[in-house]
Amino acid sequence: MLNKPQAYLTKVFIQIFLRNKQYIIFSLILPLLILGIVGLNDGDTDPIDIGLVNNSESNLSQELIEQLTSNKLFNVIQDSEDKLRTDLINGDLMIMLIIPKGMNIDEDNIDIKLLVDKSQTQFIQTMEPILNQSLLSIERKITGNIPMFELVVEDIKSRTLTYIDFLLPGIMAFMLMNLSIAGSGFNVVEFRRRGILKRLFVTPIKPIDFVIAIVLARMVIVLGQLSIIFSFALFILDANMVGNIFNLYFVIVLGVLMFLTLGFSLGSLAKTQESVGVMATIFIYPQLVLSGVFFPLESLPVFIQPFAEILPLTLVADAMRSIANDGLQLVDVYLNFIGIAIWIVIGMLVSTKLFVWKEVAG
Amino acid sequence: MSIIKANNLVKTYQDSTDSNKYIKAVDGVSLSINAGEIYGILGPNGAGKTTTLEMLEGLKDIDEGTALINSINVSINPYQVKQVIGVQLQANEYFDNMSLYELLNLFSALYSLSNDPMELLNKVNLGDKANAKANELSGGQKQRFSIACALVNNPLVLFLDEPTTGLDPQAKRSLWDLVLDLNKIGMTIVLTTHNMEEAQILCQRIAIMDYGKIIAEDTPQNLILQYAPDKQREVISGNMEDVFIALTGHGLRD
Repeated sequence: MLNKPQAYLTKVFIQIFLRNKQYIIFSLILPLLILGIVGLNDGDTDPIDIGLVNNSESNLSQELIEQLTSNKLFNVIQDSEDKLRTDLINGDLMIMLIIPKGMNIDEDNIDIKLLVDKSQTQFIQTMEPILNQSLLSIERKITGNIPMFELVVEDIKSRTLTYIDFLLPGIMAFMLMNLSIAGSGFNVVEFRRRGILKRLFVTPIKPIDFVIAIVLARMVIVLGQLSIIFSFALFILDANMVGNIFNLYFVIVLGVLMFLTLGFSLGSLAKTQESVGVMATIFIYPQLVLSGVFFPLESLPVFIQPFAEILPLTLVADAMRSIANDGLQLVDVYLNFIGIAIWIVIGMLVSTKLFVWKEVAG
Repeated sequence: MSIIKANNLVKTYQDSTDSNKYIKAVDGVSLSINAGEIYGILGPNGAGKTTTLEMLEGLKDIDEGTALINSINVSINPYQVKQVIGVQLQANEYFDNMSLYELLNLFSALYSLSNDPMELLNKVNLGDKANAKANELSGGQKQRFSIACALVNNPLVLFLDEPTTGLDPQAKRSLWDLVLDLNKIGMTIVLTTHNMEEAQILCQRIAIMDYGKIIAEDTPQNLILQYAPDKQREVISGNMEDVFIALTGHGLRD
């Protein structure tokens, strides 16, 4: 059980955090925004505006227009040629099609004009085959040819995993890291610099009392913040959670412990507020790219993958993703737990070795 | 009866420029301070005053020598010593976003006690500031508040490290009154200061430190008789500060 100083200090640390409204809002707003943008856009890509001038009145042209309109990729805007040309020049349109007057079956070769902005080369390269495909299928229908090949896309995993489902565990792991590092490394250096630590240790509390209070308070804070993000994703954005929620929170608790000990190490290495900022940046940003939070690890260069796999954030994000997305059990991610345990030991060794409590005066 | 007994205290630091060189910040300091006394340690900056206090308070390790407070050995039982002392540090910053009332509750809890913060605040004349934040206080109010924090455990010995540095005359006088009041109820007070007048008015005995050593120790009266006998005759019964106070009044300007 906690003794009175430990319990009271824990309460005070939580209180201080809760009163810092600005920090709470800023630490929530970025994950909410990222998830919100991804989540609201999920499933459907924005249709491309395509200008269409129909100079023909044949069934053929009607069929082409129907074909294009029914394609989810396009948003067909029919108007006069002059109007659409102006839009194209102004950049309001990326592409426009002109169906010539004489478009009907009797004609041998019909030229359909495609007006584009050449600076958008990449876009055009993507669009051309799609348009060609549409024209081809109309042609087939008319000529009565049966297509030889058909491409059927099928998800090998029997559930629908969207990008937000992939992103959510990673974002939560990233938040967990930031909040934990800020709560231990930054706090300790700040308290030391301002003489607050020294003032605390004038009283008969022991360093372990202080550490317990910081760890407990941060645990409560991080679990609270993550639960807000998690509920937002589940209930508002309809993200999917396949695995067991208790398993997920078990990984979160371990992750917080790991990043708190690593944060204490950073705080012990850095003597000033400036240097702890720089060190935290060096610690956080490479992991943002290398931990597979936003992109699968497999997209990284091969030589860097073994290194990326043992990063603290990778271990946590991967374990969380395996549970949330693949429904794995805790025993299935035991390798991650071994990695996390090793980091906790490293963090404890470094911080107890380097942090001299008698010199909290700085 | 002495409540603080220090014998040959030594604190050695490694030279920051030459790691083979060592500097003795405190070099064989012995003290015997009586219960109920106000004891002053004077000395220029870097003389070792603060280091001596911090060794007595259990904040810094004692490299050589022994220190007993209320017969408890500081090196062996630092946490027991901390139970019976109150400390005001030179730097007095506190957690942000917490009121004086809440901070005093916190400090009480760190001793596993629960005190009435209002009683402590009234004692140091800050009763109307209970809901203020520490960083909203003036210099004098901050010093008085940090004394209130040092009183939460009703200590036998109160250590004050340069309590009046940077205060205006009104705030200084008010703090002196507070120190004298606390002493009246039996508290032993050990303070460091640069202010000669402060030492003369408050302290029953004074030690003068330089280069880590105590170079003189006696009552203010005897020190003056011994080291500045001519000066004493020239002293008129008041001084400029008395004039300033007489003209600007005793009212606090906080």
